[in-house]
Amino acid sequence: MGGGAPRSLLYAAVVAVGLIATMAGPVVAAPGEVSLQDVIDAADPGDIVTLTAGTYDGGITIDKPLTLVGEGWPVIDGGGEGSVVTVVAPDVTIRGVVIANSGNRLDRENSGITSDLSPRLRIIDNRFQNVLFGMFLRHAHGAEIRDNEIGGMDLFIARRGDGIRIWQTTDAVVEGNHVANGRDSVFWFADRVTVRNNHVEDGRYGLHFMYSDDAFVEGNVLENNSVGAFLMYSTDLTMTGNVFRSNRGPSGYGLGLKDVDGLTASGNRFVENRVGLYADNSPSKVDLYHHLESNVFAFNNIGVLLGSTVARNVFTGNAFIDNSVQVASDSTGGLLDNEWSYEGVGNHWSDFAGFDADSDGIGDIAYQIDNLFTDLIERYPEMAFFSGTPAAQAVDMASKTFPSLRPEPILTDDSPLIRIPAFPPAPMTTEATSGLVVLVASLGLLLAALVVMAGGRFRFSDRIVLGGTT
Amino acid sequence: MTAAVGAPTVPRTFELRLVSVIARKVIREASRDRWFWLYCAGFAALAGAITVTAVPDQNLIGSGGFGRTAASLVALVQLVVPLMALTLGARYLAGERDSGTLVFLLCHPVSRTEVLLGTYVGLAGSMFAAVTTGFGAAGLFSALRSAPTDPVLLVSLAALSWLLSLAMLGIGLLISSTVRSASTALGMALFVWLSVVFLGDLGVMGTVVATRLPVSALFATVMVNPVEAFRLASVVALDGSLDALGPAGTYAVDRFGDGIANIALGVMAAWTVSAVGAAVLAFRRGDQT
Repeated sequence: MGGGAPRSLLYAAVVAVGLIATMAGPVVAAPGEVSLQDVIDAADPGDIVTLTAGTYDGGITIDKPLTLVGEGWPVIDGGGEGSVVTVVAPDVTIRGVVIANSGNRLDRENSGITSDLSPRLRIIDNRFQNVLFGMFLRHAHGAEIRDNEIGGMDLFIARRGDGIRIWQTTDAVVEGNHVANGRDSVFWFADRVTVRNNHVEDGRYGLHFMYSDDAFVEGNVLENNSVGAFLMYSTDLTMTGNVFRSNRGPSGYGLGLKDVDGLTASGNRFVENRVGLYADNSPSKVDLYHHLESNVFAFNNIGVLLGSTVARNVFTGNAFIDNSVQVASDSTGGLLDNEWSYEGVGNHWSDFAGFDADSDGIGDIAYQIDNLFTDLIERYPEMAFFSGTPAAQAVDMASKTFPSLRPEPILTDDSPLIRIPAFPPAPMTTEATSGLVVLVASLGLLLAALVVMAGGRFRFSDRIVLGGTT
Repeated sequence: MTAAVGAPTVPRTFELRLVSVIARKVIREASRDRWFWLYCAGFAALAGAITVTAVPDQNLIGSGGFGRTAASLVALVQLVVPLMALTLGARYLAGERDSGTLVFLLCHPVSRTEVLLGTYVGLAGSMFAAVTTGFGAAGLFSALRSAPTDPVLLVSLAALSWLLSLAMLGIGLLISSTVRSASTALGMALFVWLSVVFLGDLGVMGTVVATRLPVSALFATVMVNPVEAFRLASVVALDGSLDALGPAGTYAVDRFGDGIANIALGVMAAWTVSAVGAAVLAFRRGDQT
């Protein structure tokens, strides 16, 4: 620590810092004069080190409780090697700093901020630029990661690092961060983690939970990833009010569940994903039921996809709106071991063709999925290539017309809801294109039509009269 | 009267100007054709209806949702545009022949190639107007209802639809130049429509079930169909990939990557060129008049 710096320079730094410290309380560092590492080494535990605007050399290690505060967005530049900031002490706070240019060695986990044995680490309102991993926290119980802007490296997705990775850390709070172009945001052994109002886009797994129990996931927007969130081997998870949008790719899921027990999911939006919700062996305990209530599944290729052995999921008060396939099983066989209505409240199905003569809001006949084309896809997955073709619709129409062709229903909802239930407003994410642009484009198309049609009537002076036209 | 007085006996060179004159004549006639207006109005009404009914509640889903509208438009185009283009192409020359105007036209100093190409260009212009009217109406309805719309996607789907209509028009004209009466031509056009829209796919589906056709063969067989080429190019424009289309889609992405859209465009172009080429050859034989 401090080794390598000439002793006289160190003394000077200590004196300078000490002077400022005695006069103003907090330590103020300016770029150029003394290295940031020397300033940190000279500071006392508990000091507040203020970084003024400018660029500081990275590769620094913080080994005592300190608060690093940037003023005017100072940059800590890792110079493309190793991790930019390493924290190995409790009660460290880093705020208002730009952390840039880590190394790109995936095997060394080069990060913007890496930490070990750093309880109550607070990383607040920083910007991460061109870093392999954004932050990699180990043993940082009670860590707080808030309002950071994390941008990854422009690499092939498997070569990128994780925006946020948390390892063996309980009671962490991850809130209001924007993560873009990372690989995953991973929570390993992160019990009682709170993940709230984050926006994760253009990565692989927006959120990835491994062995993280009692987590609380609320109000996050996870869009344009391969998978919005994949929760694995975790128990007692609460997911409310999240938006899963446009998570696509060959194994694209909005929300994926594997061996999850004790899930509560309500008020989530699953929109335009390849598969909205996918569950494999969840719940895994035979005496456990999962309630999936008041979620919206809209415009997905498949709204809900369940493994063929998945059972004891209770779907109630959800809206299934115009998914190409509303609900499917990933192999043949029904989903009848799951419940599609609960205490007389089913789900809203946009393709429900029944009626409600007594006007109680509940369909008078059951809703069933007994779609021949979907059944064919389950038997012959290659058939998915024809999804959405007129031929696929013809197959379905044939099975409706000739009941002998109709497959066994894969699910039955005895109390389908006629109207879409009321939902609280969803957070708006991608801003809508200006109506003016659309108007101009449409008028342009119509104008093009007019020009072509008028072209036939235009009289050229050298026109030859043919076919008796005048 | 058949041999025009003083008609040059030396073969003339092909004149682009005459093609354009005939094309303008065809467009002029299309604008007087009840069928053409019916097609235009029907397509525009359906496209408009789709944008009105498919508009999602933004409060419900946050934002976005044009993907759904666009997918519905693609489904509409698959059905309607081939029908319009095939029947338009098949009816045209055969109809002219039935009414005797084709003989009258051929009495003039124009070659059969010029007549056929001019007719094709004119019909292609009419289809362009029909397609842009439809998509323009869809966009207009969206804009007026301030529904989420991606103008770039709207225009590219219109362009793809027109490309599809070019291929279908070529096949229609081929029918028209080989068959004697307009009603036979119309019947054949309807059969071709049924084949490219339904029977082709149903046949491949049946083959998949019966023989577990390998995905490479499945992709190749389906791709031959210009309507399917249009659909896959549209899916690429919409989703950026064929990933959602199961194993065959994954195979195509893995094998051809970003080239899928180009293959699809190539298929439509190949159908257009070969159908129009065959139509020119058939029409030049000229024993139908």
